[in-house]
Amino acid sequence: MSLSAPVRPLACIRQAIRQCRTERQQTRRYAAPATEVEYPSLQTRYPPPTPGFRPSQAIKQNRFETGLKKIPVVPPPRSTTKACPDPISILTNKQISVLDPTGARTRLFSPANPERVQPGDILVVRLRTGDPVSGVVLNIRQRHQPIDTAILLRNQLTRVGVEVWFKVYSPNVEGIEVVQRAVKRARRAKLYYMRQPRHDVGSVEGVVKQYLRQRSGGPLGNREANTGRKTGSKKGRK
Amino acid sequence: MLNVIDNSGAAVAECVKVLKMDRHAKIGDRIIVVIQKQRTFGPESSPSSSKTSTSSVAAANKVRRGDIRHAVVVRTKKKYQRPDGSVVGFEDNACVLINKGGEPIGTRLSGVVGREVGGRGWSKILSLAGLQV
Repeated sequence: MSLSAPVRPLACIRQAIRQCRTERQQTRRYAAPATEVEYPSLQTRYPPPTPGFRPSQAIKQNRFETGLKKIPVVPPPRSTTKACPDPISILTNKQISVLDPTGARTRLFSPANPERVQPGDILVVRLRTGDPVSGVVLNIRQRHQPIDTAILLRNQLTRVGVEVWFKVYSPNVEGIEVVQRAVKRARRAKLYYMRQPRHDVGSVEGVVKQYLRQRSGGPLGNREANTGRKTGSKKGRK
Repeated sequence: MLNVIDNSGAAVAECVKVLKMDRHAKIGDRIIVVIQKQRTFGPESSPSSSKTSTSSVAAANKVRRGDIRHAVVVRTKKKYQRPDGSVVGFEDNACVLINKGGEPIGTRLSGVVGREVGGRGWSKILSLAGLQV
């Protein structure tokens, strides 16, 4: 400024005027409130709120918690009931497909089959280990799922009653054959009365032997049901 | 009370002690019995005992009523489960008399025995038996 002053005197004046103006404005600003305020005791130290100010909003904004960072929460796992509504039946079907690939045994005991095994029938259960076991079906038990199906066979060996439970789908059971159907449909699901001497059918050895002889002599195909019924009728006539 | 199914001469025996066990006897367990009834080989004998031609009762009977003998349980009314899931039960309780050394007193067995007898170290009894279940 000192350097330029002698060269351009008008520039210096302009600056001086500008300074003067700012000074005047400043003095006015300081002086103005003092003159305008009527009741100084009511005046606060801070400027009044803006017209759109809402206290509730302000409190929310200035709260401490808003400043805290969010804690990450693990989302709830996917609902298994939605993913697999009936796992037991799937498991059962899988087990049956493994243990009974042909489905013959399932058919032999399915309630939809009119030719199914019923209490009072005489069966032969061939085992992978040991001799075949024959007997009258006293009870067919299905506990929870079809895979648990079991049969109770009763027979007399050397005049001693023997009762054996077999799991139908057991891998130890090689085959189940119907030797003779019940002559009349049993009116009970569980034929425990056959344990009493007056109802006991006794040994089924003769019936089974006859059936086995017929089976070995006859043609190999569709022997099961046919021969079984034949022996049944013969037994009924006796 | 158990039926005695060998031809030692005893018909019915009463168990008085299960050896080496705190529980009831199962098939193949060794027990001590008292002979309660003798088998009679006479005109009233059952057809299962084929010794109808035996002249004297005393000669056929190796044991007498009141004798205390060892025996092996071969059949139980109580059903028992096999490892393969099948369950077997008989209509009566039966035993076979043995001597102190473990040899069967009788020479023949009439009737069916449980297969567990052989597994418990009584394969001799199992081989004498006509039928096993």
